[in-house]
Amino acid sequence: MRDFDFLQPNAISEASRMLADLGDECRVMAGGTALMLVMRQRMLNPSHIISVQDIPELRGINWDDTSGLRIGALSRHTDIAQSELVRQHHPMLAQMAAQVANPQVRNQGTIGGNLCYGDPSTDPPGALMALGAQVTLASARGERVLSMEDFLLDYFTTAITADELVVAVHVPPAADHTRARYTRFKRTAAEHRPLASVSAVAQVREGLCSQARLVVGASVAVPRRILLAEQFLEGRPLDADTIEQAAQLVAEGIDPISDLRGSAEYRREMVRISAKRTMESLIQEAPAKERS
Amino acid sequence: MSKHHIELEVNRQKVEAEVPARQILSDFLRDDLHLTGTKRGCETGTCGACSVLLDGQLVKSCLSLAVQAKGCQVRTVEGLAQGDQLHPIQESFMNCGGLQCGYCTPGFLMAACALLENNSRPSEEEIRSALSGNLCRCTGYTQIVESVQDAARKMHGY
Repeated sequence: MRDFDFLQPNAISEASRMLADLGDECRVMAGGTALMLVMRQRMLNPSHIISVQDIPELRGINWDDTSGLRIGALSRHTDIAQSELVRQHHPMLAQMAAQVANPQVRNQGTIGGNLCYGDPSTDPPGALMALGAQVTLASARGERVLSMEDFLLDYFTTAITADELVVAVHVPPAADHTRARYTRFKRTAAEHRPLASVSAVAQVREGLCSQARLVVGASVAVPRRILLAEQFLEGRPLDADTIEQAAQLVAEGIDPISDLRGSAEYRREMVRISAKRTMESLIQEAPAKERS
Repeated sequence: MSKHHIELEVNRQKVEAEVPARQILSDFLRDDLHLTGTKRGCETGTCGACSVLLDGQLVKSCLSLAVQAKGCQVRTVEGLAQGDQLHPIQESFMNCGGLQCGYCTPGFLMAACALLENNSRPSEEEIRSALSGNLCRCTGYTQIVESVQDAARKMHGY
């Protein structure tokens, strides 16, 4: 790993000015789990690292009845998995966070870092997109809020500009009768990263499904909703036949990555199976929080 | 490039040091503090041989910079035994055959320590999950899991 300067600003505006001044020669470090790896492999050789650990606005997990959950960018996966607020209001998110990578990385890696890295082979972005989450970005120029769809652009590419930081992720409150599930598929039990993932969020009333959001992650360059499958589910009962057909639509609706970890064909099939399992779990278990 | 003055606690002893920004925590522990129980394994965050506790939480010290540990309490495998008195987890690994070559063992001991200090009666599934960030390539995991179960009984008296 090449030498670098380590800067520790304690305000967003200060960090933003550093980022603007240093340009592409610097990188932001939150938990550091991903950045350390690419620096040690010399895929990135920044002259400056800006640590955001001392910026208080990036911390904390809060709930508001109107706006929902605010998860500070420095929240680690463990914080999200163990948060009473997350478990109460969005149990699917806590359950997803408890599966990210491995215990050590969950204690080090942050949600903000995870989103900014834009790695497809990870859990949070797809689950957050299914829940309708938004990302708050801030710089010395001000703040803006983007949907997950607008934030995640492509393979390792996000909409963040050079002088911006991700401050927090916002997850709106779930509508009544909403159920949410997340399924990840790993090729072997020892793998730490999902090969495919499917998130499903839907309202289930008297056995009928509505307002479904189905998101595929990990097998695609960037998580994406499968609108055709979502529309197919509208007003239908979640029976075996419907689930089978919707899972087929999900699998047909993606442009899968093909690499050493899995061919496009294999990934498409695992996405179909993950979609089926996710939708089955929507009806099988009672949700942790069922509102009437 | 930049050097940083850090103050931290390592195995309950205060430590002050000047560290280069790019120094990795595992290298700081091994090369500067001569705490060579913490192993360098894959150095890519996969094998867990470098696991230590940072403010009570299990982390991979190859994925942290030393400067990030400023103000933290670090516990390494050297902090487990009290003089010649082995920690119950160490005794259990010895008695249950939880190691062969021993290279991964410090990481497993720290992972087991993080688990057993927060969960007095972990199920086998919880043990396997808590150890899932650590790799062993000789013993196999059965005896490691048995070692942790044995240590749980000793530490929590059941």
